[in-house]
Amino acid sequence: MSEARAPTLAQDHFSALQNARAEVNRVIVDKPEVVDFAFTALLAGGHLLIEDLPGVGKTTLAHAMSITLGGNWQRVQFTNDMLPADIVGVSVFKRDDSSFEFRPGPVFANVVLADEINRATPRTQSALLEAMAEGQVTVDGQTHPLPQPFFVIATQNPLDLAGTYPLPDSQLDRFLLRTRIGYPSAAEERRLLTEPDRRTFLADMQPCLDPDTVLALIDQASRLHVSEPVLDYIQALIAATRSHAAIRVGLSPRAGLALIRTARAHAFLNQDSFCAPESVKTVFPGLAAHRLQVQPESGLGSQEIIDEILTSTAIP
Amino acid sequence: MNLTSPASAVYWTLIALTITASPHLMAMPPWLGGLFLVMVAWRWLAASRSWSAPPTALRLFISLILLILVFVASGGHWSRRAATTLLCMMMAAKLMEMFQPRDLRLVAALCFFMMTAQFLFNERLVYLFYLGLGAWTATMALVSIQRLESTPLQQPDRPWQGKLIDQSRQAAGMLVLALPVAALLFVLFPRLAQPLWGLPQQSMDGRTGLSDELTAGSIANLFLDDRPAFRVEFPDGQPPPVDARYWRGPVLTELDGSTWRRSQFADASSPLPEARVGSEFEHRIQLEPHERRWLFALDHPRSGPEDSRLTTTRELLARNPITALTQYDAWSVNAPFGPQTLPASARAYYLALPEGRNPRTRDFANELRQSFPDDDAGLAAHVLEWFREEPFRYSLATAPLGRHNADEFLFDLRDGYCEYYASAFAILMRAANIPSRVVLGYMGGDWQEGGQYLLVRQSDAHAWTELWIDDAGWVRVDPTAAVSPERIDYGARGAIREPRHALDNEWLRNLRNRLDRAQHTWNRWILGFDAARQQRMLERLGLPRGTHTTLAVIMVIALALVTLALALLLWRRDRQPPRSAAERAWRMLLSRLGRRGMVKKPGETPREFAHRIQTDLAAGNNEFRQLAELYSRVHYGPPHAELAQDFIDTARRFKP
Repeated sequence: MSEARAPTLAQDHFSALQNARAEVNRVIVDKPEVVDFAFTALLAGGHLLIEDLPGVGKTTLAHAMSITLGGNWQRVQFTNDMLPADIVGVSVFKRDDSSFEFRPGPVFANVVLADEINRATPRTQSALLEAMAEGQVTVDGQTHPLPQPFFVIATQNPLDLAGTYPLPDSQLDRFLLRTRIGYPSAAEERRLLTEPDRRTFLADMQPCLDPDTVLALIDQASRLHVSEPVLDYIQALIAATRSHAAIRVGLSPRAGLALIRTARAHAFLNQDSFCAPESVKTVFPGLAAHRLQVQPESGLGSQEIIDEILTSTAIP
Repeated sequence: MNLTSPASAVYWTLIALTITASPHLMAMPPWLGGLFLVMVAWRWLAASRSWSAPPTALRLFISLILLILVFVASGGHWSRRAATTLLCMMMAAKLMEMFQPRDLRLVAALCFFMMTAQFLFNERLVYLFYLGLGAWTATMALVSIQRLESTPLQQPDRPWQGKLIDQSRQAAGMLVLALPVAALLFVLFPRLAQPLWGLPQQSMDGRTGLSDELTAGSIANLFLDDRPAFRVEFPDGQPPPVDARYWRGPVLTELDGSTWRRSQFADASSPLPEARVGSEFEHRIQLEPHERRWLFALDHPRSGPEDSRLTTTRELLARNPITALTQYDAWSVNAPFGPQTLPASARAYYLALPEGRNPRTRDFANELRQSFPDDDAGLAAHVLEWFREEPFRYSLATAPLGRHNADEFLFDLRDGYCEYYASAFAILMRAANIPSRVVLGYMGGDWQEGGQYLLVRQSDAHAWTELWIDDAGWVRVDPTAAVSPERIDYGARGAIREPRHALDNEWLRNLRNRLDRAQHTWNRWILGFDAARQQRMLERLGLPRGTHTTLAVIMVIALALVTLALALLLWRRDRQPPRSAAERAWRMLLSRLGRRGMVKKPGETPREFAHRIQTDLAAGNNEFRQLAELYSRVHYGPPHAELAQDFIDTARRFKP
């Protein structure tokens, strides 16, 4: 640990974070890298998109995260008849004093689980995405700040395409990281089958953090040292996505900023006193895959292209 | 003295100049060489004290003086040495106006020319080190001049840029890049069948070899000289037996007082002997320059290279004195030439003795003659037996002999080196009415197992006699063999056990043999690569055999290809210079591991690499993982000078 975190308060925050991580790992079996991704997105001040089949634990993850963070949490099940007001809230006329009163929607929470986001119409989706981007909601000309920290975990079912509105590429950019959960290993699946329901674990969970601590942690993570070689590496990676033959549109400067932020958060989470290239390498696929637009005729998937970029880009 | 300061360009130029001029300095008179060094020292002081250039008039005056001194030193005799002396002294004069980068660059570039000039005199292997050192220092000078000029543009955020080690690496790197081009030029540059400077010239710088006279001590002096005289290779890889290793040189036929001389008319060539007797030896000889025309060959030479001839006394003579390493093939027969007749005039010539000398020898000869009235061979054999039985000693003693030299040696001194025996024996034989002559040459040689060649040194010099025996012809008789059979079996150094000089010991002799093998390889493959070998090599490569023009075209094309390849290589290698000393140490560590087959992939982080090669390293070697961890912290973490130094030290000590 570096001297920068010498104050005991920071130490306490940090150990609280590690406790929270351990707690979530206890509930979500055998997926430490997914849990790490969730915490990384949180510490980087971004949002997480989980793209996977139903029943692999997306909701459980979001739920466990929200409990352990200690704030309030909301779950929104997206459907195609949903309106933006169902997300952000609505102004209601109050008869007693002839005024409008704002009834906040489910987005007003520290942790929002947006389930099956691709089932809603683009209009409704963009209401949420705008809230994620701005950190505030404007209804009837009135601006309402969202609570801090504000962390959205959205899920999306990639296979069930009938009657869905897949998020447009430009909107995917709002999510800092996109990940999959995947099936558990045979041994872990057996544990899952024999042990009591995960929900009982959730019931037992104690909040390890509180919103203020999370804000402090985000602030600490953002001040982690990033050296020249790592900046060079990040630039080289971004340049590689722009010059790659199979990629139509490479990463934007905003994605570059996001990459630094995420790498810092990842390094911070893993108790590094500086941002090592390993952190960049680890978060890069989750950060880049949904931001790249692949040439369809190349026959390559974005994951393959990213792997190729990671192996060919020299680490300074 | 700071070799990276702005004045370093001057320092490096002076270092390069001194190194490249050193062989020339050693060859010129000491006072002139000293003057050169004084000029260098003055320029060094001027650089460190920031003196300015002397006025033009003074510079002109000193230059003129130097010019006159060179003229005086050469004695008005214009030679290659005089030319290089002039070059050196004019370079020294140039130092007085060497105050601009332009002049510095000129001097540094001329250093390369100075080295080329040295190869007009000597092409021995040791000069390869001179060439390497000279080229490197001259390149260092050019690099520092370049840096001097680009100082304002230097980037302050690269503090390591001025380091000596980087500068030397840069210079060495440039030379390494030049190597392929040099190799190509060596192989393909059109070669002349004749040397460019074919003038007979003193190339031995005052060293002595075998002469064409025989006096007391003339061979014994050579006994101390271990320089190679020539090297011999045999087609079947087997040297002739030890007692047949007589290498024939000049034949001395005239006794002038007490000195044996070669006939003035000996250069006339003779037809080849018709009858072939005995078996024929083919051998290839690499002869060191000796300023004379003899081509040494195994006794008795039958024919030599194309432009040589065999004289009436069976000497093999080249057309011109041997001033450079020469390689030739010779054929010899191991038996005396077939029976011939000796004309009466020749018989008288080979019996001639100066009047009024050596009375006791003449009396002894008459006695012998009476015991063996018609048996020349028996008489000679009897004398050899007499040598063996009487207390004759074979040693390096070189007592001066007087007027009756044979008398003094045969009856009083009885102690001496081969020339005493050969001379006295030949005189005795002539007195006994047997035609005789003295042959000079070398006897023996060290077989170099590693190089498969026979090394004959100056210390193997020898003298023996030949007698005319009717029905047999000229028969070789070596009186030294009768006195000291060891001389034949173990060579001169084996026969005389006393150490010859302070540096004469087993270990040094072995080292010398080893070095000679390297020299032999160098002679054979580098110096021996002549026009004919060049043609043969091109034919083997399937290239058209042709004129110099064809060769030049091939060379230009090949050079263009090599240059292109080098340019591509440089372009590919154009990677970022290291940001810090730690990164340099890490890269060196990686290249060390890379040489052992552990290559870091580009997309691997230090920790990942250490993790991957863990199994390749020695068992339980956790050291490299710790190193990689330390490097990660130093390189990617916040600046930490102590940690960085710690890493550099550990990396240096690390043994994969």
